[in-house]
Amino acid sequence: MEQLIILIALITLGYVAGSITEKRHYRSLEAREKALVNLPAVNFKQLPVDPAIVRKSEMVVGNTVIAVDYFKRILAGLRNVFGGKVKSYESLLDRARREAILRMKENAKGAAIIINVRLETSTIGKSSKNQNATSIEAMAYGTALIIGEQ
Amino acid sequence: MKYTPILPENNDNISHESPVKELFILSAGIIGIVIGIYVALGFAVNWIVPHISLETEKKMAALFSGVTGKGEDTSPRAKHIQALCDRFQKSCAKIPYEVNIHIIENEIANAIALPGGNILLCSGLLEKMGSENELAYVLLHEFGHFSNRDHLKGFGRSLVFVAISAALFGPDSTVGNLIAGSIGISETGFSRVQETDADEFGIEGLQCAYGHVNGATDFFEKMSKAEDPHIFGNYFSTHPETLKRIEHIKAYARENGFDLKEKKPLPDQFKKISESD
Repeated sequence: MEQLIILIALITLGYVAGSITEKRHYRSLEAREKALVNLPAVNFKQLPVDPAIVRKSEMVVGNTVIAVDYFKRILAGLRNVFGGKVKSYESLLDRARREAILRMKENAKGAAIIINVRLETSTIGKSSKNQNATSIEAMAYGTALIIGEQ
Repeated sequence: MKYTPILPENNDNISHESPVKELFILSAGIIGIVIGIYVALGFAVNWIVPHISLETEKKMAALFSGVTGKGEDTSPRAKHIQALCDRFQKSCAKIPYEVNIHIIENEIANAIALPGGNILLCSGLLEKMGSENELAYVLLHEFGHFSNRDHLKGFGRSLVFVAISAALFGPDSTVGNLIAGSIGISETGFSRVQETDADEFGIEGLQCAYGHVNGATDFFEKMSKAEDPHIFGNYFSTHPETLKRIEHIKAYARENGFDLKEKKPLPDQFKKISESD
């Protein structure tokens, strides 16, 4: 019986704390995306501009690690029995990727465009005993082009 | 190429349904499946158990040899009770088992029927016995369980359940352990129907062996009046509704015209031994 009570308490805590954190993060993401909307991050492999006008180019990286709360984990575990979209993890990955791209943009101050943007996600802290991930990492990297006179 | 800086209006990468609703739906699904399997298992076990041969059951009995000890219990009390059982088996309670009595030192007042015909009596139970009739009723009640092969049904169900939860959730998951634990608790005793059937078998056997049924409800009446819940608490978890059973036994005796005559006391040999132990 105690096990059931602990389980329910952890799930409730995970849900409440997780929702608060998530809402706060989304607000921050939207605000920063608005501010950085004028810096395009594209995945072209080739230069979209004349190479002569490129003053400097450098690789920029944005990285973030976000933890899974208990509620999402339980939901994903149940989903694994029946199959279908694991909706609880969708917002997690969405936030992680957007955060990574924003950090990459923030590292590219003064650039006109970031090309060849790639995204990589991986799980961190996944042990063999506990099959569900404990946190996920998203990394975005690309080439920032600073345009101007040489 | 012209770059137009705009932000998307909606976030299409996430689902907007409530996760709490999803949790309830999925949990209800899992619970529904577990209950469904439990019910199906009940039918399957009841169908299979009568087909388990006695030889197979004797092999299963070997699993419990750690509890009962190897071979027969040769203490004087056990021998006396064994003699009683043999007498019953010859004339009144014909069950296809070779009943073996084992006594274990335990304060708790309980008796357990194990596969293969082994009956485990706790010393706490023997100390409470006031007459031979009372002891005879307890033994014949256990015989009733053997006759209906109740002990096999509970054993089979919980085993399959642990196997299923291990397959679904993995051997070490929180949810799986919860399910296994709750099934374990519900299977520790025989069901009410099984207990009632064993009660009826016991009282018929008592009438046959002694010519009357005085002493049948003594044990239950002692249990329901018990003031110390510590020793008897465990009893109630496996034998609920004792008062209803007392009523049923008395009603059954009346319906069948069983008498109440003088009870036979436990022999001195038995009392001396229990005093010196």
